[in-house]
Amino acid sequence: MVTIEINGKPVQAEQGKMLIEVADEAGITIPRFCYHSKLSIAASCRMCLVEVEKAPKPLPACATPVNDGMVVHTRSPRAISAQRSVMEFLLINHPLDCPICDQGGECTLQEMALGYGKDISRYSEAKRVVGNPDLGALIATDMNRCIHCTRCVRFGQELAGVMELGAPGRGEHMHISTYMEHSVDSELSGNVIDLCPVGALTSKPFRYSARPWELTAHFAVSPHDCVGSNMRVDVRRGKVMRVVPEANQIVNEEWLADRDRFSYTALNHPERLTVPMIKQDGQWQETDWDTALTRAAEGLRDIVQRHGAESLGAWAAYGASTEEHYLLQRLMRGLGSANVDHRLRQQDFRDQAAQPAYPSLGQAIADLEQLDAVLLVGGNIRKDQPLLAQRLRKAARQGAKIMQLDAVGHDLAMPLAEQSIVADLHSEMLGVLKALVSEKGEAAPQGLGEALAALEPSETQRAMASALLAAPQASVFLGNLAAAHPAAAELRQIARELAKLSGARFGQLAEGGNSAGAWLAGCIPHREAGAKPSTQAGMDWLQMCEAGLKGYLLHGIEPELDCIDSAAARRAMNQADFVVAISSFAGEGLKAQADVLLPQATFFESAGSYVNAEGHWQQARGCVAAPGEARPAWKILRVLGNLLDLNGFEYTSVEAIHSEMQALFGDVAMLAGEDWQAEQSWRPPEGLLRLASHPIYRVDAMVRRAEPLQATRDAEQAVLRANPATLDVNGLTGATQARLSQGGVSVVLPLCEDETVADGVLLLPSGLDEACGLGAPFAAVQLENVD
Amino acid sequence: MNAMVQFLKSLTLKELRSGMGVTGRYFFGKKFTVQYPEERAPQSPRFRGLHAQRRYPNGEERCIACKLCEVICPAMAIDIESEQRADGTRRTTRYDIDLTKCIFCGYCEEACPVDAIVETRIYEYHGEQRGDLLMTKEKLLAVGDKYEAQIAADRAADAKYR
Amino acid sequence: MSMENNTLLSEASRADIDRWVAKYPPEQKQSAVMAALRIAQEQNDGWLTRELIDAVAEYLEMEPIAAYEVASFYSMYELSPVGKHKICICTNISCLLRGSDEVVSHLEDRLGIKLGETTADGRFTLKEVECLGACVNAPMFQIARDYHENLTPEKIDAILDSLD
Repeated sequence: MVTIEINGKPVQAEQGKMLIEVADEAGITIPRFCYHSKLSIAASCRMCLVEVEKAPKPLPACATPVNDGMVVHTRSPRAISAQRSVMEFLLINHPLDCPICDQGGECTLQEMALGYGKDISRYSEAKRVVGNPDLGALIATDMNRCIHCTRCVRFGQELAGVMELGAPGRGEHMHISTYMEHSVDSELSGNVIDLCPVGALTSKPFRYSARPWELTAHFAVSPHDCVGSNMRVDVRRGKVMRVVPEANQIVNEEWLADRDRFSYTALNHPERLTVPMIKQDGQWQETDWDTALTRAAEGLRDIVQRHGAESLGAWAAYGASTEEHYLLQRLMRGLGSANVDHRLRQQDFRDQAAQPAYPSLGQAIADLEQLDAVLLVGGNIRKDQPLLAQRLRKAARQGAKIMQLDAVGHDLAMPLAEQSIVADLHSEMLGVLKALVSEKGEAAPQGLGEALAALEPSETQRAMASALLAAPQASVFLGNLAAAHPAAAELRQIARELAKLSGARFGQLAEGGNSAGAWLAGCIPHREAGAKPSTQAGMDWLQMCEAGLKGYLLHGIEPELDCIDSAAARRAMNQADFVVAISSFAGEGLKAQADVLLPQATFFESAGSYVNAEGHWQQARGCVAAPGEARPAWKILRVLGNLLDLNGFEYTSVEAIHSEMQALFGDVAMLAGEDWQAEQSWRPPEGLLRLASHPIYRVDAMVRRAEPLQATRDAEQAVLRANPATLDVNGLTGATQARLSQGGVSVVLPLCEDETVADGVLLLPSGLDEACGLGAPFAAVQLENVD
Repeated sequence: MNAMVQFLKSLTLKELRSGMGVTGRYFFGKKFTVQYPEERAPQSPRFRGLHAQRRYPNGEERCIACKLCEVICPAMAIDIESEQRADGTRRTTRYDIDLTKCIFCGYCEEACPVDAIVETRIYEYHGEQRGDLLMTKEKLLAVGDKYEAQIAADRAADAKYR
Repeated sequence: MSMENNTLLSEASRADIDRWVAKYPPEQKQSAVMAALRIAQEQNDGWLTRELIDAVAEYLEMEPIAAYEVASFYSMYELSPVGKHKICICTNISCLLRGSDEVVSHLEDRLGIKLGETTADGRFTLKEVECLGACVNAPMFQIARDYHENLTPEKIDAILDSLD
């Protein structure tokens, strides 16, 4: 620690820290543009010049390390004159078109010019003009306003992991642009809008629609992924105008994934459900709440009376709030059925009783940055949980060994120490386990001896094992594809053993926004709220499909699009006599299958709490009123409970539900999982296997309807992907399209050669309109040439 | 002594006579009264009457939807909705001034960076129905189109004092 | 994206680039970008195509935009075709005082082109550059790797005549 003096105030600081950081901590403001605490130091704007005694010239505070006895003046005549001169230079080429600039009113340049600038400019020559590159559907550009702070370039390089923007040219010819007119396709690209201190990069969907001073800020938690990003929702006259990150260092830091930032654009989609509807003789009729709710309650009661409560099932969305999950399961259990599930993107539930209280990351999100070795199994963490990937990227930059074990070699935009791309994740993981067992010279874990005995670990598997073993801080993560695996329970078992043997932590990257909340609230068949074993036996969602239940209560989902096994979901809906759907959106698919549609408020319009992957329970209070007759789902479920004469449905506020849950959740967070052993080891089916998981912009009904997101490159096109060898084996080399058949349903789709896909598998993501009706992943499919 | 003076004043009707003197002076002096509406009082170029929206000579509306007038308006009489027009420019889709709220302070005119919203010399207007005094964008532009010559001349006359 | 697929860079260029890469730590291959771009430029008649910049970026395992930043920063890299002989005339202060104006106008008259242009037969390109560090013998210009100093119109004619 050293002592320095800033503006006459003695400040204690760590040796070597930059002056600007020390000043920030001491609450002394130094103007800046290019400096950002999360980015590397460029020292290119020179706005932070301060006077340091004994230094011959003013020094940039962002790039000057503190030294003992330093005497700094940030507001001395010399410092002020330096800052004013820099400001004058910065404004030379700035167009000063503040009245039409979206940044106007929240612009750092405006503020700095007012606080640290001169009154007039002496520059009367022509200003330079720069072309505006088209960066895609999310970011609008006005490059004349750019002051070349290069924050956006550094963000791409350092945090997003892809350098899409650069600063070609020199001197007056320097400009920010992409290379070869690319769009910016990073899943974190929206953050450059916030980073840009001027109006050069602004939000395209928000463009020219409101002024910052007209907006009121509301807090919300994103339910699109398991990070639970904190969002500031800016509202104008009861309408969500835009979403920006709310800084929370332990969750999302200062970032937001594009999915969280732009999903609001779906709020006024034409398919938004705003009036209760009932199906009369196959025709949809708009009606009032009384009629619709009575019809729903009668229908459900009728099913219970005619077929018994156990022929009633409920499916909930991953992104529903904890309160909604809780009420839904209470309603179902109150009716006498424990058939309630939200795990619609899993198909193996054998180990559910042994699972921990909720699918957990096994550590705090912030701790991901400190990891030294990470084994990522099955899942594109970069697209599925963008902000967790960002944390790992930071670890990778500090030398962490990131290892990818997957069936598709997704580009994770971080350096990989090891990579193994194989179709059979199960045996590949066993190989790593075997390598670990032999390296440690220990006996094979219980129940896996037989499976391990015959294995001879490969070079890569050995390297992965020793990296895990050698690292002081290591983790094994199972991603979305692993969760959707038909032997997911075994993958979890192996991963847990891997972690145990190597001293690493085991984490699940939950595939949905509020999985943890749903587990805790009891929205699973085998456990009630608070992780208590269920008193009634319930079926998981695939068992419900098989059993051919007669009635369903759907909460926030579109079965064919949200379920990983679209074929099973379609069958189940067709077999049901009565389907009530509580939903914010109603597409053709849902309208064909439901009998009653109850319009639900989205998470922007409803209070609720969410539990993220690290178990952090966050509450949001809603930002705007729902359109039309749409109501928060907890109110709908509450009244439905009243109409069904269930006890304890007298809640008057979401807080009442919350405190009831709080009492139940009190001591469950610690509940760790138990060991579980498979009776016999999984063998992959013969033939060509189809891989599927939900792509980034297909995860829920809202994201699927966010038009700007659907216009990005990440919006998955329905294309069949396989590597050249696999295409060759199937006689499809050079074919441009093919017919895929899975379980009696076939689709003809374009075919694309993709070397990142493992041998013997075909990639067609789930959740696409074109993939509706196809079965589960890792099942055998037929591929025919139709050219 | 005081009572004596008072008595003399009232006896000689001094107050009455001096009062009548004022009346007499104005009665025979130069007349100021304007015979409105046959006669009009002179107006300053800065007169703040009915609002108008101006156009550029090429017919393009000046307003760029910066909303500075809306935010400065102390009576909150202005209401603006904006969007990106098909040609990429920033434009209003709605620009309403509620004249029943307006206090004619002229701040909107001062705030406008492009001289789009101005106050004209017109002060004779009325509404017969609820809503007649809500000036929409079309009405404002129509006022501007009709009186552009006068508006431009007034801005020019005042320019050297700005 | 293996290096073997990188066919735009010739065998010789790649060998030359490898020599430069070897001078830097293995995890900092991109340090050789300036040399690599120069080598690629020499291979392609003195100018860099976008494809060549891509190829260099790929070869050095860096982002294409980062290589493009370097290529567009330095005036020695040409991003459009140049003539066989690129005449780089210094017009900085010392040369200016010693009569670089005359050098420029003489060259422009003789070749019939303006600064920054290339003759129709593709033989000569005139390029204005900043100080090349030969102030002691100003005015000067550079052709290929040779400096020509103390220029006079006669001397210039002699130099141009000697070029093929």
